[in-house]
Amino acid sequence: MLRDKSFSNRMSNLVINILVVLFLCVILMPILFMFTASFMKSSEIFSMPYRWIPKEFYAKNYFNAVTDYGRNLTFVRTIINSLIVASATTVLSVIVSAFAGYGLSKFKFRGQQVVFLMIMGRMMIPFEAIMIPMYIIAVRLHLQNTYTGLVLPFVLNTFGIFQMRQYLLSFPDEMLDAGRIDGLGEFGIFSKLVFKNSTPAIATAAILCFRGQWDNLLWPLLLSQKEMMKTIPAYLVKFTEEKYADEGAMMAVAVMASIPIIILFLTLSKYFLGGSAMYSSSKE
Amino acid sequence: MKKHNSFSIEGQKARWGWFFVAPAILFFCLFSLYPMLNALWNTFFNVKLLSLKKPEFVGLKNYAYVLSSPDFWSSVKATVIFTLSSFIPLTVFSLVFGLIITTRKKRHQLLQMLIYSPAVLSSVVAALIWLLLFDPRGIANSLVNFLMRTPGIDHKWLTEPAKLYMATAMIYFWKYIGYFTIIVATGVAKIPTSVLEAATIDGASVRQTIGRIIMPLLRPTTMMVSIVAMLNCMKSFSTQYLFTQRGAPNAPLNVLTLNIYKTAMRDRYISRACVMSFILFFFMMILTIVRMKTSESKE
Repeated sequence: MLRDKSFSNRMSNLVINILVVLFLCVILMPILFMFTASFMKSSEIFSMPYRWIPKEFYAKNYFNAVTDYGRNLTFVRTIINSLIVASATTVLSVIVSAFAGYGLSKFKFRGQQVVFLMIMGRMMIPFEAIMIPMYIIAVRLHLQNTYTGLVLPFVLNTFGIFQMRQYLLSFPDEMLDAGRIDGLGEFGIFSKLVFKNSTPAIATAAILCFRGQWDNLLWPLLLSQKEMMKTIPAYLVKFTEEKYADEGAMMAVAVMASIPIIILFLTLSKYFLGGSAMYSSSKE
Repeated sequence: MKKHNSFSIEGQKARWGWFFVAPAILFFCLFSLYPMLNALWNTFFNVKLLSLKKPEFVGLKNYAYVLSSPDFWSSVKATVIFTLSSFIPLTVFSLVFGLIITTRKKRHQLLQMLIYSPAVLSSVVAALIWLLLFDPRGIANSLVNFLMRTPGIDHKWLTEPAKLYMATAMIYFWKYIGYFTIIVATGVAKIPTSVLEAATIDGASVRQTIGRIIMPLLRPTTMMVSIVAMLNCMKSFSTQYLFTQRGAPNAPLNVLTLNIYKTAMRDRYISRACVMSFILFFFMMILTIVRMKTSESKE
């Protein structure tokens, strides 16, 4: 489309490149700010013009962030909580989604349509609309301040089920029949053939789920009143409320709260990008 | 299931089908259907959190109360303004950037990763970064003053209502623009190259190609992006919550989700919170149906 080598085209090419660079600057500037400010004293963060390279690397911010100024290790506990909750939710929801996606795509049974419509209908219910009754249920079942309570409401991942179903619809039936002939049971077929050969769909669903849970603030805020059971987003909010003026330490907490998800992004970026690409290809 | 069927292969397969969907159905009933019905039930009763008294039936009183309370309408206003001011720029710019980055063939993967990166951070982290950027002594003020040649002026990003709308919308825009740009770019990449080549051969200008060929073919993607963006904006909570916790004025930040949270947890009026949830749910449902309809028509 833009292959013509005339002068005006080269100019427009240049303009587009400049636009891309500007766009990237706007996108990356706040992230760079987070990293650099986490090594600065508060006074340096707010001395304008902003120094993009800290004058002295003030690593004490990280000590203050991790140990809450040498007082306790709640931060470490909340990170572990977040890891446990996000991983448990991810594992459970992937299993449930793969099960349901397989059941809906490769079996015929009465009521299948109803089940499918039910799950599709669930996509319309935002969590915010049911969180209050969910909270009352959790209180009645004594699930406040428990991992179970933090995990269970998010195991049903309708988008994951839908994606698994779409993916498995094009899974070769011959392979399943070959498995049956070789004497694998239905469950064996699922675990040995289907699950192992659906890595892209599973990885994408898993990544989306993990990311969502890592970001989840509302439900843990309702459910976990105890400090020891808070997750990272709630801890971040509390830290900023209390340490009103120590911006450097705040950024250090923010950096550390992002490290697990950043590592995941750098190693599995294609599934992150695939997850958003899936939106535009969900009906293939 | 008919009896003579249940020992045949068909019947056995049907039972396995049920076996595989059973966990999903179980979770659906426990954590979606029941809470939903419970929420509906609550709206007609006078439920208070942790009260031992039996809730009494009040009919439509809760609806009447919520719909006549100024607090609720100020929340609606905050939600609508926030949603409009974030999803419109998001849709427009994701289209523009989506078109632009598909023309860059060099280092495509890296470019996509960089653009996507803010969406990886959690909302609280994003809000926190911008809280510092918008600080009276922060970069936002110094940059605006530099560009407008107005040294030393505080633009009150976190105290003036209009500026607060702008600030929160900007945070949302920053966090999700890359995400939606990638969606658009994928949509553009799906347009068959033969169509574009045909256009070039027929002598279409770049402008014509974009206006007459790419945009119409991209309509389902555009529709999807705008609705998903709108739905996300209507649900936004973390940014507003963090800002109010840091002492920003309440009114422009009091979006519906925040109001529901406060009504239920601070004021303990479960029923009123459920009424608001249902109103939010109603509008989101309409949007979701529109989205499903448009993605169906694509087939």
